Amino acid sequence: MELLQRFALGEIDAFEELARQFQGDIYAWIVRIVRDPGIAEDLTVETLWRICRAHQQFRPDGNFAAWARRIATNLALDHLRRRRPEQSLLAEPAGAPQPDHLLQRETREKIQQAFRRLPAKLQVAAMLALVEEQPYDEIAAALGTSAGAVKLRVFRAVRILRKQLNHLRVRPSGKDMRIGK
Amino acid sequence: MTEHEDRQIREVLKQSFPPVNTELRRDLWPAVLRKLDTHPARVPWYDWALLGLSASVFLFFPQLILVFAYHL
Repeated sequence: MELLQRFALGEIDAFEELARQFQGDIYAWIVRIVRDPGIAEDLTVETLWRICRAHQQFRPDGNFAAWARRIATNLALDHLRRRRPEQSLLAEPAGAPQPDHLLQRETREKIQQAFRRLPAKLQVAAMLALVEEQPYDEIAAALGTSAGAVKLRVFRAVRILRKQLNHLRVRPSGKDMRIGK
Repeated sequence: MTEHEDRQIREVLKQSFPPVNTELRRDLWPAVLRKLDTHPARVPWYDWALLGLSASVFLFFPQLILVFAYHL
């Protein structure tokens, strides 16, 4: 019997094989969204657990990878909704910070905070499309929507972000970000 | 919004969110297995509510048991 059929019937051995095969892909997708390896690992475990619990809903002729990614994306979205925007995502470098480095760090933190204030769905679309440069159709499949809707979300995210950065007096100018006086 | 502005925002975001390592550092199967063991399948609350309701109906109207059995 095929692996996916055995999984759909609830065979734990089949699920283990699928989990080991796809855990890397699921983790890679989640970490691109949440940007934290520890949280991404937890969410990957949660995703695999939910997949196992929902085995009866899976059709053996379906696409397991796409189904898993959809569940993973929903969990990452839930995580972003729960997370406070003030939480920083950057690991602090070792050693005493230099003045110029301090400015850069401050600017980065402001941009990150502005980004984290976006609605979770806009964050996911913008992160995957603009930062990770993932194809729109893949993002759309993971979010359960159309590529057009993803483009619209990215557009809205950029517009809101620009307003927020103006409000925070951050001047995005390509490779040389500065905080306005 | 111009394409230039879009590119600017993209650059700024890329600088603010450095690349992440997408390689999984360890096998997560043992953690999944632990979670499966500690969180067994639970009966949803509405199933318990339905069971309670049925039990109450049969307690107060025992003659309905015969009607129910007839229709089985």
